[in-house]
Amino acid sequence: MQTFERIHPVEFQRRFLTQDTRLSGREFSQFRPLHIVKGSIGTAQGSATVRMGNTIMVCGIKAEVCEPDVKRPTHGYLTTNVELSPMCSARFRPGPPSDEAQVASEHIHRLITPSVDLTSLCIEENKVVWALSADIVCIKYDGNVLDAAIVALVAALENLKLPEVKVDPATGVVEAGAEDGVQLGIVRRLFPATFALVDDNYLVADADDAEEQMTSASLLVVLDDQGQMVNVWKRGTGIISRDTITECVAAAAARKSEIERALST
Amino acid sequence: MARPDRRDPDQIRALNSVLGQLSRADGSAQFSTGSTSVVCGVYGPVDVKLFDEHLDRAHVEVKLRPDIGIPGPKDKWLESAILQTLEGNILAHLHPRTLVQINVQVRADGGSLDACAINAAILALVDAGVPLRLMVAAAACAVMPDGRIVVDPVAEEAEAARSLHTFAFAEKGLGEGEGPVYVDSRGVFGIEEYDACYGVCERAVGRVLAFMRSAVESKVTKESHVAGA
Repeated sequence: MQTFERIHPVEFQRRFLTQDTRLSGREFSQFRPLHIVKGSIGTAQGSATVRMGNTIMVCGIKAEVCEPDVKRPTHGYLTTNVELSPMCSARFRPGPPSDEAQVASEHIHRLITPSVDLTSLCIEENKVVWALSADIVCIKYDGNVLDAAIVALVAALENLKLPEVKVDPATGVVEAGAEDGVQLGIVRRLFPATFALVDDNYLVADADDAEEQMTSASLLVVLDDQGQMVNVWKRGTGIISRDTITECVAAAAARKSEIERALST
Repeated sequence: MARPDRRDPDQIRALNSVLGQLSRADGSAQFSTGSTSVVCGVYGPVDVKLFDEHLDRAHVEVKLRPDIGIPGPKDKWLESAILQTLEGNILAHLHPRTLVQINVQVRADGGSLDACAINAAILALVDAGVPLRLMVAAAACAVMPDGRIVVDPVAEEAEAARSLHTFAFAEKGLGEGEGPVYVDSRGVFGIEEYDACYGVCERAVGRVLAFMRSAVESKVTKESHVAGA
């Protein structure tokens, strides 16, 4: 069995898929259970660890003070960085971030920027604001890192506590006061769900690494707290019909309540 | 309320294309919609680096340069969008152990850049004679705060929009519920708005595809005249 899996990975997976089942025993529409631990890194201002089956992502947010952009004097900064290092999978090489990691960082940045209130990061207009840098590190790679990364970031942002800060008007020196002062204003939380078209025929939810290798198209649906859609991102040339995408949106709503439950524990 | 450039809501900006403009590339295309303009040069099939070589197919690579400055994460993201839309569409198995390099240079970004870049890339591939499975084109639309859906938004509209949608469709099965090749919808929107945008973009893609067809046809006719003379 193991030899078969190694020599003919595609054929091996196909044997399961044609029988309407998956190697992991999940239904096609079934996501992996989600475990979230908030505040897993003591030295970060906000952090969370997310586990989805064998995919583990850790998000740590560090806060620094700096000068705001001249064009937006009341806005703080939030940068996101997804790290897919050789630590998490043999598919990644050491060195500068891979294209996949850069695209994930940029996509998450585009999603999260309108979802947080950057003006809540203002300490003193035109002078000092918070600059948050969210590092999302993959510890174990087993497919669907984008979902895990988004959930980890949202959980870490909820966990974020910034110290109360005072600016000395005479010297301009910034001083941190009591811990756990301010929280970031979150406009909306994000609830992602990814679907993958495996072997051009089978649409599976939350594909693992082996399934991702045979994926010809993937569909990311992100919902907000009200169940409104925030992002639909379909990539790859495999055909996911118009009706199927509508079904995926409904499935994403079911996934949303699972994520909500995991976030509240 | 009128649009900034007084277009109808379902009217795309004037399309323009120049094929084979670059003399040293195997194929090239300049594609413009209104003030948004992209040049794309394709080299392929050419020698591939050992690291990227695939035994059974060509390696496809997209390089994008912005109009101003050096490439950043935004450009990487668009590169990947173009690659994801076109890679599976290129019959890469016909040229194993080679490279197809798609170089995209943004000339001006006046809104709906993603769609324009995809359209330029596909036209350049056609011009280069790289074998393709299907003809693909992209279009964008925006949902404005008052609920109007405007196709091919300019930068000003995109800035104010409640949600932005970019769709790419294949020519085969267009309008028959075949499903899109590429979707990027962002903002806040409901399923009805998404569906409406889907329809709007599908019709716009139909017009873009018709334009592309006539652009390629007129180039081929011109070349065959030269060859015949």
